[in-house]
Amino acid sequence: MSDAPLVLSHATKRFGGFTAVNDLSFEVPAGQIIGFLGPNGAGKSTSLRMSLGVMQPDEGEVRLFGARPDLKNLKRVGFLPEERGLYKKMNARDTITYFARLKGMSAGDARARADELLETTGLGKFRTTRISKLSKGMAQKVQILSTLAHRPDFLILDEPFSGLDPVNQQTLEDLIKAEHARGATILFSTHVMEHAERLCDRIVMLARGRKVLDGTLDEAYATLGSGARITLEPGFDLPAALAPKGFGVHRAADKGPGEAWRVDLAPGQGPQDALRAVLEAGAPVIGFQPEEARLRDVFVSLVGEAEAAALDAPAGAATEETV
Amino acid sequence: MMRNIYLVFRRDYLGYVKAWGFWLSLAAVPLFLIVGASFGYFAATASPVRYFAVVEPSRIYADAIEGEFQRRSSEAAAEARALAEQMNIPLSEAEGQVADAAGGRKFIEVPAPARTLEELRPWLTGERTISGPAGERPLFAVFILSEDGSQLEYWSGDVNVDTLQRTAEIAMRDLSRRDALAASGLDPDFLKQADAAAVKVPAFRLNATQAGESGAEVTMADRAPTIVSAALAYFLWLMIFSIIQYLLMGTIEERSNKIFDTLLTSVQLPQLLAGKMLAVFAVTSTMMLSWSLFAIVGSAVSASQVPGMGDMIQPFIAAVTDPKLIIPALVSFVLGYILYGTLFMALGSLCDTIQEAQTLLSPMMILLMLPMFAIFVAFQDPGSPIVDIASWVPLFTPFLLILRMPHDPPMWEVLAQMGMMVVITALVVWGATKVYRAGAVHGAGIGELGGMIKRAVGMKPKAG
Repeated sequence: MSDAPLVLSHATKRFGGFTAVNDLSFEVPAGQIIGFLGPNGAGKSTSLRMSLGVMQPDEGEVRLFGARPDLKNLKRVGFLPEERGLYKKMNARDTITYFARLKGMSAGDARARADELLETTGLGKFRTTRISKLSKGMAQKVQILSTLAHRPDFLILDEPFSGLDPVNQQTLEDLIKAEHARGATILFSTHVMEHAERLCDRIVMLARGRKVLDGTLDEAYATLGSGARITLEPGFDLPAALAPKGFGVHRAADKGPGEAWRVDLAPGQGPQDALRAVLEAGAPVIGFQPEEARLRDVFVSLVGEAEAAALDAPAGAATEETV
Repeated sequence: MMRNIYLVFRRDYLGYVKAWGFWLSLAAVPLFLIVGASFGYFAATASPVRYFAVVEPSRIYADAIEGEFQRRSSEAAAEARALAEQMNIPLSEAEGQVADAAGGRKFIEVPAPARTLEELRPWLTGERTISGPAGERPLFAVFILSEDGSQLEYWSGDVNVDTLQRTAEIAMRDLSRRDALAASGLDPDFLKQADAAAVKVPAFRLNATQAGESGAEVTMADRAPTIVSAALAYFLWLMIFSIIQYLLMGTIEERSNKIFDTLLTSVQLPQLLAGKMLAVFAVTSTMMLSWSLFAIVGSAVSASQVPGMGDMIQPFIAAVTDPKLIIPALVSFVLGYILYGTLFMALGSLCDTIQEAQTLLSPMMILLMLPMFAIFVAFQDPGSPIVDIASWVPLFTPFLLILRMPHDPPMWEVLAQMGMMVVITALVVWGATKVYRAGAVHGAGIGELGGMIKRAVGMKPKAG
């Protein structure tokens, strides 16, 4: 049995007639940063809550450091929930100290660690300020610090960037990198693809409760392939002209004069091959740009396919997520 | 495990006691008593001397009113002397107080300066004053005998202060009785003598375990266990009553703050519940103990100052330390607290807002009033079959078992009821934990409670 920080094996969770997470399997290897992506209601938070033992899977299994989640192995975990919440009447220092002590730190160590973290993140002068008196961003920072205070081996962050301004988003990115450099394994869910692209070693993508991708960023890009953006004078039927040559052609959003098309490239084909084929077909070209896939495109494509598949599924198979 | 319970307890306890409201509540009872007592004292001493006059052809009614005032003064003086003797205060020192008690009259009769109400009006309204033992003052009131002699009319600008009028009523009644007795040829003190000669009805307690003994007259030692058990039952009720808001509001705060997920990755749900219950118990205990300390200090001061007070307190101390009463009382107290506490906490976990919680408060209050009625009935008539039956109703058992203990219920009943309380409390804790988990972890609302209960009793298939 793997002692990886987290392994989900065929985990399924249902709420009434609604399947929130469906046969989900993936592993978080030690020392990596994993991005957990998916649209709203995809089952990310439910998966994370199952990973922590807050709720049990109806089917399948969750292993945290090789064992079922319990207080012993959860002491090695720091968890930032999607819905932030702190005791509003406690001050910043007591809050961090309290959660660090619950994770097993002694009172003295926890207090010293709270002071150190508040100082390094610029909140030193607010250490005795009540949470209710802090700005939303500051309170969120305090919660993040509460998650890190006991120096966990494994950090699970559910939408850590939501609600933060760009400056604080950058601070959080730096914190995540610092924790990773310290040796922590990190799993975080996000909607912001740029964060995932900058931070992650691997991506696990979820749609409609099912895993649609599990791999490195390159493997993610490869699912979509590269292409070329061609802009023509209006009125030319490019799909018909390129179909005999085996190119897939889709209409793309116009960004200026003319009609924009995206030409998909098969493995081994380059953008020049597409341009050559278009010119040979006599198309009135007014623009040309090679296109590399971004994570956002992969996300839209894979999630879009899953959504379309769900729409094709028999009625009643899915309802609105309530939990 | 204990460490986590302690940490949750500590945080919650400090959270409560650091709030202003806690200190206000703590100080409210002693302050209320001190202010109330001081207010009463100052009201009595600060009351001014007031003059009154009686308009009548002779001095029959004026003398009767004066007689009633003197009788009261004599009574007060006698009580003051008796108290001085009890407290070993030298009579010479007490004489001044006795004189004060006798002479501290607030209403003094003065000769009427006129004979009709219209003529007396300037003195009654304060336009004119009259000379008397306390100097120049207006008239506070006048009594005017009606022309047919059937009414002694009381006229005053301030009818809210009715002491004088009531004193006059008592004086008139006594005067009438004395006249009637005299007309019948009886001694004026005939009624008092008749009352004194009435057959006494003393109460005796039959000693059932010692057939040879006839028993003894009922004393405070016999009544103390009943009073102590009633106080304990009421204390338990008061404690439960006062924790409702703590448990409801505390749980709502955590639910609305979305803090459960963070907590539940660090502590188990039963640990969380135990820590919170202990914290609220400690908060209410702190209040109750502080108030008790205030009462104990007051009693100790009284016992040191008033001879005989120590003997009066002794039976209560004996009752409180009697294992036959205190062991079942402690079991009932702890289990009753857990039973009601977990119930309220579970309901609180289903509420998102204070408004939602307020809708729950009414049924909770009704739920709590039922044991209060049961306590009242049991205190009035502990041997009543209704009390026996009601003591088997789980919601009443913790209170009624305490109340029944001084009346020697059968041992099997005591053990069976304690066993029943253990089982019922365990069931309630089990169910409340489920409800709490549904509310805290899964975000279930109060509207889903019915479905949960149906599922628990098997009336509704489980979802999924």
